[in-house]
Amino acid sequence: MPKHYRPAGKKKEGNAAKYITRTKAVSYLQISLAVFRKLCILKGVFPREPKKKVEGNHKTYYHMKDIAFLAHDPLIEKFREIKVHRKKVKKAIAKKNRDLADRLLNRPPTYKLDRLIIERYPTFVDALRDLDDCLTMVHLFAALPAVEGERVQVQRIHNCRRLSHEWQAYISRTNALRKTFISVKGIYYQAEVQGQKITWLTPHALQQVLTDDVDFNVMLTFLEFYETLLGFINFKLYHSINVNYPPILDPRLEALAAELYALSRYMSSGRLPGNPETNGLIKDKETENNEEGSKTVESELRLAQLQHQLPANEPGTLMHLVEESTADDTEDSTVKECRSLFKNLKFYLSREVPRESLLFIIPAFGGTVSWEGEGAPFDETDQDITHQIVDRPTQSHVFLSREYVQPQWVFDCVNNCIVLPTEYYVVGRVPPPHLSPFVDNDEVGYTPEFEEKILKRLRAASKDKVLPLPGLGDEDQDNSMVDARSEYNEVAEKKRKLDMLEKQYHEELKMEIEGETFSSLANKKGDNPTHAVDNDAHAANDQVDDLVEQAKKDEAEMSKSFVSNKTEGLIRAIEINKERKRSNVELLKERKRKASSSASAKRK
Amino acid sequence: MGHANEDLRPDNNDGLSSDNEPWSEQDDDEGSLSFDDSGSDDSDEDEAVAGESDSSEDEVGPRNTVGQVPLEWYKDEEHIGYDIDGRKIKKRDREGRIEQYLRNADDAKNWRKIYDVYNDEEVQITKDEAKIISRLLKGKTPHANVDPYPDYVDWFEYDGKGHPLSNAPEPKRRFVPSKWEQKKVVKLVRAIRNGWIKFDKPKEEPNYYLLWGDETDTADNKREGLSYIPAPKPNLPGHEESYNPSVEYIPTQEEIDSYQLMYEEDRPKFIPRRFETLRSVPAYEKALREGFDRCLDLYLCPRTRKKRINVDPESLKPKLPSKKDLRPYPRTCYLEFKGHNGPVKSLSVEATGQWIASGSSDGTIRVWEVETGRCLKVLNVGADVHDIAWNPSPERPILAAIVGHDLLLLDAEVGDEETKMRTKELLCVDEPTPEDDADGKKPAVRWVKHEKFDGITLIHHKAVKTVEWHSKGDYFTTVVPTGESRAVLLHQLSKKRSHHPFRKLPGLPVAATFHPTQKMFFVATKKFVQVYDLQKAEVVKKLESGLREISSISIHPGGDNVIVGSKDGKLCWFDTDLSTKPYKMLKTHKKDITSVTFHRRYPLFASSSEDCTAYVFHGMVYSDLNQNPLIVPLEILRGHLSLDRRGVLDCKFHPRQPWLFTAGADSVIRLYCE
Repeated sequence: MPKHYRPAGKKKEGNAAKYITRTKAVSYLQISLAVFRKLCILKGVFPREPKKKVEGNHKTYYHMKDIAFLAHDPLIEKFREIKVHRKKVKKAIAKKNRDLADRLLNRPPTYKLDRLIIERYPTFVDALRDLDDCLTMVHLFAALPAVEGERVQVQRIHNCRRLSHEWQAYISRTNALRKTFISVKGIYYQAEVQGQKITWLTPHALQQVLTDDVDFNVMLTFLEFYETLLGFINFKLYHSINVNYPPILDPRLEALAAELYALSRYMSSGRLPGNPETNGLIKDKETENNEEGSKTVESELRLAQLQHQLPANEPGTLMHLVEESTADDTEDSTVKECRSLFKNLKFYLSREVPRESLLFIIPAFGGTVSWEGEGAPFDETDQDITHQIVDRPTQSHVFLSREYVQPQWVFDCVNNCIVLPTEYYVVGRVPPPHLSPFVDNDEVGYTPEFEEKILKRLRAASKDKVLPLPGLGDEDQDNSMVDARSEYNEVAEKKRKLDMLEKQYHEELKMEIEGETFSSLANKKGDNPTHAVDNDAHAANDQVDDLVEQAKKDEAEMSKSFVSNKTEGLIRAIEINKERKRSNVELLKERKRKASSSASAKRK
Repeated sequence: MGHANEDLRPDNNDGLSSDNEPWSEQDDDEGSLSFDDSGSDDSDEDEAVAGESDSSEDEVGPRNTVGQVPLEWYKDEEHIGYDIDGRKIKKRDREGRIEQYLRNADDAKNWRKIYDVYNDEEVQITKDEAKIISRLLKGKTPHANVDPYPDYVDWFEYDGKGHPLSNAPEPKRRFVPSKWEQKKVVKLVRAIRNGWIKFDKPKEEPNYYLLWGDETDTADNKREGLSYIPAPKPNLPGHEESYNPSVEYIPTQEEIDSYQLMYEEDRPKFIPRRFETLRSVPAYEKALREGFDRCLDLYLCPRTRKKRINVDPESLKPKLPSKKDLRPYPRTCYLEFKGHNGPVKSLSVEATGQWIASGSSDGTIRVWEVETGRCLKVLNVGADVHDIAWNPSPERPILAAIVGHDLLLLDAEVGDEETKMRTKELLCVDEPTPEDDADGKKPAVRWVKHEKFDGITLIHHKAVKTVEWHSKGDYFTTVVPTGESRAVLLHQLSKKRSHHPFRKLPGLPVAATFHPTQKMFFVATKKFVQVYDLQKAEVVKKLESGLREISSISIHPGGDNVIVGSKDGKLCWFDTDLSTKPYKMLKTHKKDITSVTFHRRYPLFASSSEDCTAYVFHGMVYSDLNQNPLIVPLEILRGHLSLDRRGVLDCKFHPRQPWLFTAGADSVIRLYCE
């Protein structure tokens, strides 16, 4: 068959040749639908929308080039190998050929996704841009129950936990966290890495239930890709701050489910070689574990690795320290601000507080933190503690040297980038509404009361405090603010002038209506200011206003008569959208009004 | 041999055979029972049975040797058969019934006796035999001491019996190494040597490495294949998703209930709730589901780049030139002409612009002075005036008015004496047209002198709708919509002659008008505008309006542009040089357009409608053929009141000034000026 053979009736160009339906694509690739799905997910191939759907509107179309891209992927061959291997094992077991089965099971065909990652994300920034879904998924699976016999392997869940902690440790370490938000769905975080805003959602630290309405095959395929991606990203990020990857953690802390703390310890220990505390801890652990025969061997192995690693880091860390000091100057003001938000504050978390999230957030903003439980760096009785985070109706024993606040305080502080006064968040009090930092209130057209009345004022107050301080970035900001203000003033001035002109024009129009000649008009102009409050003039004014209104309406109508049907539809759609937005805001205002009136009635 | 065979059988067979043994014995007993004749020597027989079970029948055979023949054959004989020596066996003497009975009654063992027909003798069953029979009847084993399920006793001793099963000699292959195995081993060895089979576990390679090494070379770092469309990021949460939102974000119970009435797709997916403390927030039950939905979106949704238009709707509307540059045009009402008592159906402006004439449905024609608004004259014509047209020639102040069914030509008497004289001459009919043609057909039009106003009545065969003058003032045309082949009529005033050149029209005619300069003629039917060349008497063009029903037509003074108003409120501008399709369609009025008109000097045109408004447009036609006409809406003129759902019925421009006259259904004529 010649290379250019084209079956009769097959189109050479156009949508019919460019796009292929899914069923045809599957038969073209000679694979099953399940494998096709998996390939699409891993390769990041998605359906396209052809201009003309040749084979019907209800079908999914793939671009022929995408399908050719899949067809050339060695992964297809690998999947076939896996299928064959599975059959071989089955056959060996069926023939009671235990040896062969074992041998086969020992060496299953494997595949790696690193090539795919570099193919899909040629640069690191590309990968960071698409990281939102990846992080959300990994964090979701990290929160699933790690129970043997469930649909998700325990090992996968542990891997997700590890990856998520590694990511959080990096973010916390580099003070890259910007915004947080506790929603009903979980806690949203937004970080800024290499100029990319990355937002992810962590479910609340409660047991999730595996439901039946989801297809785990699809999710696990996604997770497979995401795990690899996040692993490589973590490697790159750790590499950029001169920390070895994968990190080796203190097993004792790991056992206490304080991996995050362990990780941050690891990172800082990578910086400060020969940390006596760490070594002591490890020795402790060794003595503890002496009884557990098999485990000790393992732990000793790890210990050896750890000790091997510490000196290896030494020259690098020195270099890094130098780098750090220089880097500090070039860092932008936001990072600085974030680093110093909780500086010199010492936190202590009560038992009932979501530990993982706060262990992540507080160090990310420069605070030190401890918790109730084993492995904590310091006790509740520590005198230096400035804030204790408590989420219970009453606190029985109170240290006078510290403040007792609810966890929301931390989140609100972070979002507003100031240390808020704790009076609103005192234990036992209903905290003020928790507002989303992701909403642009001006665009929505509605600002919640708390934001408007309190947060704005506080922020402004803190800004004032900052302003007199000499600082490069701040000065710039100030200048720009001044510029903006002057610009605004100019605009306002112009507007006022225009208004004046318009008014004058209206006045003239009114005169004309009244049928006065220009000369009398001139006369009247002289008179007008003298009796400003004149009923007649008022009535006329109203009439003029009406007329002007009418004229405006007429204008709109007239220009509409020229618009094509398509644009007219577009205009209508825009107007409907605007109307919907407006009605939403209206509804909020209405509810607010009702709530406040009922509250005031209660007070009475 | 048989035993040996049995032993070779699998175990389960052994059990079966053990079961069989007692039963076979029992079979033999039965046989002995049925054919036993003597019955006396039980013990002997038992022994015989034990000794040789099969031969019992032969030994104690029956006395009679006839075999199994029907005994009927011997019914009449004395003998019953033959014994073994061939002697006849005599039948016994028959006993009487009574004797038999008596004997039986005496004998206590009678119930055990059975008469053997074959041997012709009585047999007595022993007690044991009776027992057996009774047991058999009950379905038990014949002998009471038989155990139906005895324990199996394997009588054969296996150990030490060196007997081979087969006596064949050992084959050679038992002593030679297997060739097949050798081949297999060779294969395996080769596979191992070549590394096809590996026994040790594969070495673990480092999973992660620096994938994105140096990124300096940007040309290399380009994604291959089709352009990548990144998936849209999930929406960021708003205030309402907070665990502790402001009060105003929480819907009331009624609102939540009302969601049930909405369509499922309109229903809000998320209902905000408020939790007092963070510790009371439960796990989100739809977390997995939402993650899964996102996955589905990522790999199943077709992606396209769409430009989101986030623009001010005002910017989408076309930019119109400033109105100030387009002045002068009528903007405000300057004068009102009041006097009519019914809707003013039509008006017309005199060629000099000094006078206007208006016709109303109150049966009067009024002539007004424009500048003062004074009513010069009231002519009571006695019927509805549908249309009125002033002769465009200033020397002939003649009014053509459609009164009732017919057309009335009359002198307006506004000129000086000389013109009055000339007009009078014109308006006299020497000999009225005869009532019947030469063919005996009723003529389309009859010119008859009108006595009352000293004018001429043109009596049409059917009701006339519109009248229009030629610009020279000699010809005029009338349209009779129901006139069929005589629907459009041309009249010549000087010769008092009429004819109807258009036999066939595409639909009902609505209006007709002359080309301002050339010898062309326009006829508007309900959907089309036909352009005729009067000299060649043929159709030049057919303009397709695409409108539902044309109501009025007006020709630009240049003659190349036509505007048409329709009863669905649309106004079409035709550029006849450009195309037969509308150049521009203006959706201006909400109700029927009653009249459209061009200004003779200024680049203005206007339309009036039943919705009580009149629109004024700027319509500039350039002499350069490459430049399309410029149309700008200028002003909406209001002021007329609606009466009986009718608004403005007619509009006309002043011939010299940028003034517009409108005739309203509220019996007022308005003059709009700059």
